[in-house]
Amino acid sequence: MIKIEGLHKSFGQLEVLKGIDYEVKEKEIICVIGPSGSGKSTFLRCINLLEDITDGAVFINGLKVNDSGTNINEIRKDVGMVFQQFNLFPHMNVLNNITISPRKIRKMNPKEAEQLAVELLEKVGLADKAKSFPEQLSGGQMQRVAIARALAMQPKIMLFDEPTSALDPEMVKEVLDVMKQLAFEGMTMVVVTHEMGFAKEMGDRVLFMDEGKLVEEGTPDAIFNNSTNERTKAFLSMVL
Amino acid sequence: MTIDFLDIRFDMIWNYKELFIRGIWVTLGLTVIGYLGGIILGLFLGMGKLSKRKWIYYPCKYYVDFFRGTPLLVQILLIHLAVIPSIFGHSLGYFVSGATALLLNCGAYNAEIIRAGIQSIEKGQTEAARSLGMPSGVAMKNIILPQAFRRMVPPLGNELIALLKDSSLVTVIAANDLLYAGKVVAGAYSRFWEPYITVAILYLMLTFVFTKVIAYVEKRFSNSYVPSQRRRIFTFGRS
Ligand SMILES: Nc1ncnc2c1ncn2[C@@H]1O[C@H](COP(=O)(O)OP(=O)(O)O)[C@@H](O)[C@H]1O
Ligand SMILES: [Mg+2]
Repeated sequence: MIKIEGLHKSFGQLEVLKGIDYEVKEKEIICVIGPSGSGKSTFLRCINLLEDITDGAVFINGLKVNDSGTNINEIRKDVGMVFQQFNLFPHMNVLNNITISPRKIRKMNPKEAEQLAVELLEKVGLADKAKSFPEQLSGGQMQRVAIARALAMQPKIMLFDEPTSALDPEMVKEVLDVMKQLAFEGMTMVVVTHEMGFAKEMGDRVLFMDEGKLVEEGTPDAIFNNSTNERTKAFLSMVL
Repeated sequence: MTIDFLDIRFDMIWNYKELFIRGIWVTLGLTVIGYLGGIILGLFLGMGKLSKRKWIYYPCKYYVDFFRGTPLLVQILLIHLAVIPSIFGHSLGYFVSGATALLLNCGAYNAEIIRAGIQSIEKGQTEAARSLGMPSGVAMKNIILPQAFRRMVPPLGNELIALLKDSSLVTVIAANDLLYAGKVVAGAYSRFWEPYITVAILYLMLTFVFTKVIAYVEKRFSNSYVPSQRRRIFTFGRS
């Protein structure tokens, strides 16, 4: 579903991704772990071309993302993204945050879009917040709205970049619960996370990244319990 | 030399009241046209200055540099005496020249305000919009500009007041603006206190009205996006 070949990314002189190959299959939950600055966010952002790709290729459903002939907006319709800092649109209420892209991009009529938004808000447990503005919500609520907003485009893939890292501890669970539900429903997900519990419980595969490289990849059990890689073990001993 | 306060003769102002009233309208007309045109022009120039395409960026940059880097008075004379006659073969009158010069000048200043306003919006907003599949134009119109606009309101308000006062420079091309009315009366009577004090007071009244309008707009676009008066700024906990 997502195929990554020889992915390199540099910011000027700084090489952040040093050749990554990976393939994500349909309905897989991929958890990406690794120390801060190792290139996890950049890796994720290259998938939907929020960063342009220096070298290599990313394919989504067979379409090459970094090809001048590809309409990236078409691909992004199918790839939802959730950010660490939520990035809700502060000038719109929750309902409009969710309906704007279906209306403007999917050309859904306002009634349908609103109905979809209400359903999604129920799903993330915020049915009563439709008319609230982002500034009136807690961090956990904002992130759940952000997930609903991404889902409103009915994506086939969801990318999460440390969705709980900016949250107070007591709000982490409510967001992870929504993500788990999404996973059970069969969404294909790539999740950059520091929540090792989530990775262990939900991950089909766990990717350990360090210094721009994919150091190790395997089932949660293989990575967390049976890794023989020194760097993986060193990292895990610090975070577990 | 005596400054004869006791001999102030406002009757002569009264005799010329039509001239002053017309002056007010001309000044208002020039300011409003120059300002509204300057906002539209500034929007394009400001976005042009944010373009990655060099053939868009550089013309916009040089335009803004020129109009901010040369005196408005010089621009007015150039446009009235050189540019417009060269293009049309004759003058189009002081009003067209004056409005054009103010518009072109105001556009350059507004461009910087609009550019800075757009740039002040967090990058995450654009990224969220783009990640939802919005093309950059849609993201700009629906996500960035509505937020940036709020931050532009105070400096754009200052620009309006500045333009109102700077519009008096069109007097040099004999535009019948407010200052020009004062000059005519001063010339007719060889007296200076009454006409120029009158002009000053009338400008002050205009800036006062404009300031009130701006304050109203600023209040409407104050910090919070929440429409209601009694709002909770930030609430924690589950719903
Ligand atoms: N826009 C950018 N410009 C320059 N350097 C960047 C940019 N974004 C990220 N980097 C650098 O790339 C490296 C990897 O960053 P990132 O992908 O955010 O790591 P992670 O998400 O694993 O913490 C860091 O050294 C960071 O400073
Ligand atoms: Mg990161």
